[in-house]
Amino acid sequence: MRQWYRIVFPKNYLDRRKRAGFLFVLPALLFFGSVFLLPLAQSVLYSFHKITPGGAREFVGLRLYEKVLTDPTFWRAVGNTVQLLLLSVPTTVVLALAVALGLNRIASLKWRNLWASMYFLPFATSLVAAALIWQWIYEPVYGFLNYALSFVGIAPQKWLQSLAQVLPSIAAVSVWVRIGFDTMIFLAALQSIPGEYYEAADIDGASAWQRLRYITLPMLNAQIIMVVILELIFNFKIFDQVYATTQGGPAGASQTIIMLLYDTAFKFFRFGDASVMAVFVFVTLMVVTLLQWRLLRRPVEY
Amino acid sequence: MAASPQAGRVLSAAAETSTSVTRQVHLRWIIALAVACGAIVVFFPFFWMAVTSLKTAPEIQRVPLQIAPDHWLNFDNYIEVFKREPFLRYLLNSAIVASIAAVSSVVVSSLAGFGFAKYRFPGRDIFFLAIVGILMVPFQSVVVPLYVWMNDLGLVDTYMGIVAPDLVSVFGVFLMRNAIEVIPNDYIDAARIDGGSELKIFFLVILPSVKPAIATLLIIKFLWSWNEFFWPMVVTSSPQMRVVTMGLMSFTNMYFIEYNLLTAAAVISILPILVIFIVLQRWVVQAVVMSGLKG
Amino acid sequence: MKRNAKWAIAIIAAALFAFAMPGASIAQQKKLVLWTHWDQNPDFNKWYAEKGKEFAKKSGYEVEVVTIPYQGYEAKYLAAFMAKNSAPDIFMGMTHHWCGQYDFCDKMPVDLEKIYDQNLPKYMAEVGKWKGVRYGIPIEHGNFQQMYINTDMFKKAGLDPDNPPKKFDPEWLAAMKKLTIADAKGGEPTQVGFAIRSKGAPVGITDKFLPFAHAWGARMLSPELDKATGYANSPAMVAALTFFGDLVTKDKVASLAFGNPEDAFGQKRAAVIFRESWYFGWLKKNAPDVNFKVYALPCQTVCPGAGALFPWTDLVYKNSPNKQVAWEFMRFISNAKDDMDHHQLQGILPVWTANLESDYVKSRPDYQSTKAMLAQQVPPTYFHPKSNELATAFGEAVVGVMFGKGQPKALLDEAAAKMDRILKD
Repeated sequence: MRQWYRIVFPKNYLDRRKRAGFLFVLPALLFFGSVFLLPLAQSVLYSFHKITPGGAREFVGLRLYEKVLTDPTFWRAVGNTVQLLLLSVPTTVVLALAVALGLNRIASLKWRNLWASMYFLPFATSLVAAALIWQWIYEPVYGFLNYALSFVGIAPQKWLQSLAQVLPSIAAVSVWVRIGFDTMIFLAALQSIPGEYYEAADIDGASAWQRLRYITLPMLNAQIIMVVILELIFNFKIFDQVYATTQGGPAGASQTIIMLLYDTAFKFFRFGDASVMAVFVFVTLMVVTLLQWRLLRRPVEY
Repeated sequence: MAASPQAGRVLSAAAETSTSVTRQVHLRWIIALAVACGAIVVFFPFFWMAVTSLKTAPEIQRVPLQIAPDHWLNFDNYIEVFKREPFLRYLLNSAIVASIAAVSSVVVSSLAGFGFAKYRFPGRDIFFLAIVGILMVPFQSVVVPLYVWMNDLGLVDTYMGIVAPDLVSVFGVFLMRNAIEVIPNDYIDAARIDGGSELKIFFLVILPSVKPAIATLLIIKFLWSWNEFFWPMVVTSSPQMRVVTMGLMSFTNMYFIEYNLLTAAAVISILPILVIFIVLQRWVVQAVVMSGLKG
Repeated sequence: MKRNAKWAIAIIAAALFAFAMPGASIAQQKKLVLWTHWDQNPDFNKWYAEKGKEFAKKSGYEVEVVTIPYQGYEAKYLAAFMAKNSAPDIFMGMTHHWCGQYDFCDKMPVDLEKIYDQNLPKYMAEVGKWKGVRYGIPIEHGNFQQMYINTDMFKKAGLDPDNPPKKFDPEWLAAMKKLTIADAKGGEPTQVGFAIRSKGAPVGITDKFLPFAHAWGARMLSPELDKATGYANSPAMVAALTFFGDLVTKDKVASLAFGNPEDAFGQKRAAVIFRESWYFGWLKKNAPDVNFKVYALPCQTVCPGAGALFPWTDLVYKNSPNKQVAWEFMRFISNAKDDMDHHQLQGILPVWTANLESDYVKSRPDYQSTKAMLAQQVPPTYFHPKSNELATAFGEAVVGVMFGKGQPKALLDEAAAKMDRILKD
């Protein structure tokens, strides 16, 4: 608290520096406080009440937590979401890294920009439009994918209609949408790596793999962490694509946590239960992000 | 300093055998080819989308599949899209909202990124985590309280109302923080010794050094905001305030999806993006080259 | 650089300020705001605004129609109602949700209520009511399923398209078998008899299964809508679900690999589909070369009748400052002629009994079949506030059987238990 007093009433130059740092951060914090803090607090409050907005509110303590956390439908949604995560996040990050490395090698700026724009284009489409178009490509009877596969003699697959294939199919769409975004981040970072490091490595006779491992990846460490954290968060909250296409089907095999949250809140009118799910999502993501932060952060020597 | 890497390079070049050189050239071609193939695969759904927008509804339903439309110049779907919805107005609204969001995000995120990267103050890490925490709150659970708040502020059905949750980008704070972190502290200390205030340092030293990150953030935030659907849908009602994503969704309903119109509308909504991207690309390239020279 | 930075900030600030001004403000003209999410019926929706212009001459109020995307409409409605002053005056929704679960609806004035009690067909009597009180005007009459058959495929299979089967088991099933062309290699059939719905949320799947359930005399809930066990898992329901599931798993006259049933029928891959009356409009537009006829649904122990899970109604917001005017507008359009014009504009069935024998209705492909189905007994309705959740739980059992995840009796027992838990909560 004494520290805070000195921020508001700085005594010396160092304090003024600290205050400056805080002031730089203040606009973002104000935004956080005003737009999300209050609704989040309200959500947490709701998770202890049985409510219908416009209706009664009744304090029920931890009963809703017990109800939601013992509901097999909830855990099925969690399971689906985790499966989607495991399918899309590593694929997206690794592919984006590979593509960025490849793009970086292309000498001609014109071609590099062309290919980079094509990778980035999916990010420029609305999630719902993209999902609907992919749904159609996945169509078992008149979709393009089965049509193309028929030329190599593979029987038509059910894709989004199949219990086993629906999650990988959706994951593929997620990868498609997000790969450009990550590629761009990696590419920008790659282009900021000073050339001297690579020249020094060349002198030492390093192989391409060694260059990758000892120079490129460590220099990209901060970006990789950021990308993994962001991908994890976005894919955990996946909603629009699945809601627009499979709506959780077939037989609940693609229902994600956020979809269940939306249905519980707005279609089943159980805001208390939905708030429990929101708290669950928040806590899980916070814990996972903290773990990633601690484990993956490696100090880089410049 | 200038002599030894060059000398080293000459030596290593001489040491390389000719087969190693051809292998390097082959490798480069293979990589380029792989990247190009990947790009084409990623691009394919857009080609599909464009081709579909030239087909009539019965053509789309046709089995077996036919890639080419019957008439390549069939723009009926596009005409219908503009007839059904004031799509130009939607494009304008999306452009305005996305621009405000992008600019605001860059300003706030770079300020915050600077604060987080180069300063130490009590609670710094907690505040950073709090901001990243914004992303972890499912938007669906805050939408009703947020709407009520917007309503109390009189911002329902306005540009500011649509933009409000998008004014700060968490990703932006992250990105800027990472970008600013690598600026050598010597530069900053030098500017301080020269008698610059912290804000001056921000404008004169920090911002010029992170131009690629700023450009990246501008583009990404613009696109992100352009493609928002749920919040704009909840907060707008009048047709003149709607955004492009809502226009797209008007071709789907509880019973069926009008693919011929949806794809036409999707093409219409991507074209401006493409134009902007091509224009901004040059600026990005310029920025990157310039910062390279400086470094 | 300093000067440039200052300019940049000034420009940005000016731009932000300029755009921060509220968007185009609504004209001074007084108006009633009407929200609907029926975005597949744009002409139907526009009619309200047209009528509103006439209405404005009398009352000074025009009508502004806002069409909301179906996806996410529940959230938008709720947010607006919670915030009160940005809520619509009139909105389209289901009575048992917005008036039963929530308390957002205004009661219909007595005189208007009388008009509707006298002029609605018996099947529609409950639509727009909650606990015996009328809150709104039903807008859709044609949302019960009927049987569409592909006449060419019928002829090819040696069946008479003018005389379709009238009983599920065994006639209809036999016809389905004749209409199915199995794959020689044992894969998915190239053509199926019945286009079955297997995609999407469980609520929709329940909706498509209910005609079968009702035909076997089963019902999802007790008549007072307070119990599920004994009804959702009754022997009749198990028999209906067994028949339904066997279509896919045993008889193989329906397939899960055929995507959308609407598309399958339109692509002549399925010979029969159960769909509501909007479907022949879709067929004319998307598959004009399909020759079809519409018939009443087959029966089993009883006839399924004109049933629906989704009773769409025009309602008035309770806290609207203009609700008196809103009811005036409702009175203004509550007559047989307007009902006729309104629905004919979009090609859907009118609501008033008086209009059901009009020339327009007689010229529709589903005229005879609608008459036949309306003559059947009224099937059970499930207008309960928790209908979404109950139908979802029930639908999971139906889907489970279709995908071979369990036996009908076991899955229905589970669903009934879950539904009882939901009812008790």
